[in-house]
Amino acid sequence: MNVITGLLVATIRMSTPLMLGALGEVFVERTGVMNIAIEGIFLMGAWGGFVGAYLTGKLWAGFLFAILVGIFCGAIYGYFTIKLKQHQIVTGVAINILTVGLGLFLYQLLFGIPLLPLTVEPLKDISIPFLSDIPIIGSALFSQNILTYLAVVLVAVGYWVLFKTPLGLIIRSTGENPEAVDVAGINVERIRFITVLGSSALDGLAGAFYSIGFLGLYTNEIIGGRGWIAFAICFLGNWDPLGILIGSLIFGFAEGLSVVLLTSNFKLIPNEFLIAFPYILTIVATIARRQFNVPAFLGKPYIKERG
Amino acid sequence: MKKNNRDESITVKSELYVKVEDNNFLLNFLPVFSVLFGLLLSGLMMLLLGHNPLIVYSNMLNYAFRDIYNIADIFAKATPLILTGLAFGFAFRASLFNIGAQGQFYIGAVLAVGFALKLSSFPMVLVLFICFTMSLVGGSLWAAFIGYVKARFNANEFLVSMMLTYVAIAVMNFLLGGLLKETKGEYPQTDVIPESGWLPSLIPHTRLHWGFVLALLVALIAYLILWKTSLGYKIRMVGFNRDAARYAGINVEKIFVIVFFISGAFAGIAGFTEVNGMQHMLIEHFNPLIGAEGIGIAILGGAHPLGIVLSAFLFGALKVGGNLVVQTSRIPASIIGITEGLVILSVIFSYFIRDKLIILRSKKKLVSKERKRL
Repeated sequence: MNVITGLLVATIRMSTPLMLGALGEVFVERTGVMNIAIEGIFLMGAWGGFVGAYLTGKLWAGFLFAILVGIFCGAIYGYFTIKLKQHQIVTGVAINILTVGLGLFLYQLLFGIPLLPLTVEPLKDISIPFLSDIPIIGSALFSQNILTYLAVVLVAVGYWVLFKTPLGLIIRSTGENPEAVDVAGINVERIRFITVLGSSALDGLAGAFYSIGFLGLYTNEIIGGRGWIAFAICFLGNWDPLGILIGSLIFGFAEGLSVVLLTSNFKLIPNEFLIAFPYILTIVATIARRQFNVPAFLGKPYIKERG
Repeated sequence: MKKNNRDESITVKSELYVKVEDNNFLLNFLPVFSVLFGLLLSGLMMLLLGHNPLIVYSNMLNYAFRDIYNIADIFAKATPLILTGLAFGFAFRASLFNIGAQGQFYIGAVLAVGFALKLSSFPMVLVLFICFTMSLVGGSLWAAFIGYVKARFNANEFLVSMMLTYVAIAVMNFLLGGLLKETKGEYPQTDVIPESGWLPSLIPHTRLHWGFVLALLVALIAYLILWKTSLGYKIRMVGFNRDAARYAGINVEKIFVIVFFISGAFAGIAGFTEVNGMQHMLIEHFNPLIGAEGIGIAILGGAHPLGIVLSAFLFGALKVGGNLVVQTSRIPASIIGITEGLVILSVIFSYFIRDKLIILRSKKKLVSKERKRL
């Protein structure tokens, strides 16, 4: 029983940042822009979260700083891809390369090269009284940290905004038919840019979840492709907040399973396979999943006709 | 009609290699300017650390070109970068994104080290030939899988290629922890391969080996395939306009698989040159950024084999000079990565400027032509 509870707790915990990242990605891709820089923004968010929390001693400052760092990276990405209309994949890859060096550089700039990794006290779990005492599922669902609750709420709000409000209609139309949006008098580039900033803020928060949400430290390998997995979940969830809720839980389970098995004495499967499991699952899911909600103008810059 | 116009402008804009029709001095030297701009930006980062960037850069140059050993090292460092750059650039010509060269490189390296260790009694030529072939085949099959799922299931190729990199790392770490682990059994690394598996050095008493010549040959082959064969014509056609290529009767799906196969072969060969020419063993976390740097080099080189070779030399010089500067001063080693990233970003920025300049000039020409007619 203990193992199952542990697995459920780990599942929900590991799916939190994926949910945040994938939700941002859904919004931005609905406007027709792929945020390829997601992996790098996760990393910078992890860095920002740790630095903010370590220097001020307050976790909320860390999360705030992570969001700001995320927005800053998003602004660079948005400027290159939306304003300058450069290739999204190429720009995203360039930013990802840059952040790998930058994360380490800025860490060493502030702290030198410490012998032991510096740590902060990570975010505490909030147990909801009575509900968290339910056997097996109680602590998994009702004894998580505040970001997990926030992520679930944001997904629900995201679904409502995207499908039930005029703003959501504008966002979806921008990716399906930018010309029509333009003719209706709405600035396509502005909508896209703001959405990129918003999604990058979520990515920064998601990155900070890894550094100060539960580990309490920063290393340059802390993200290790989780940004790409969030990116994949957006595709696999069919650009729908509810789809990504399910997708994040599946990948959270895959990661939770490998974490639980790695820490247990179960030695039948090699560790490396357990580590590779979420990535293999992504490949299998990418191959198996039929995609039918692809925004028509995904990845294409909008060039206004003149004259 | 109007719609068609817009679509065209999008395809032209999204390509890195807009054809430069007039030979303007400024346009041709734009990549050089953008490299300098990138260096300027990372100089600002050094100022943040309290170092004078001018001194750092002049030290870098001095170190990189200090003696024949260091100069040879530039080309030795450039060797695998040429190959991973070609891996990305070749697929990019078909508008495909192979961002998993790192994984293909690891698979090639694992196979090369494995065969070099097992075949120690064989003659040198044979060992090298087998290692080369196996790393080539390993890398290309690993990548061909990406092309296959792209062709068969319309799977997103850059997602699959990225994820396969993490799988390749796990495969390598698994083998380093077991089958290929050193006889002492202490660290996750292999034994040094017997000398029969070493690529002979090109210039004595330096680290430059024949793998460099091999990389240049591969670049030449990539050029010949792309511009001198009908296959290359088809590949570029798929890259320019996939639908048009399909209507012209090209089997686009087959091209996907072939392109990834060739692209993976390039990255796999990089594993061979690194193991048999440079390191002579395999260590965990071995060259972890070589795939990403290859992408940067391909972008910097405009996805052209010649451009890729030259950009790889630049990155090689940055590495050799940078490493020595880092060792002799208190600047963190990560500054080299930042410099590379900023250079790539400023190159992307220069593509924007180039597009603008080209449009401006063609407009001017049009105006003067119209005036003459009037």
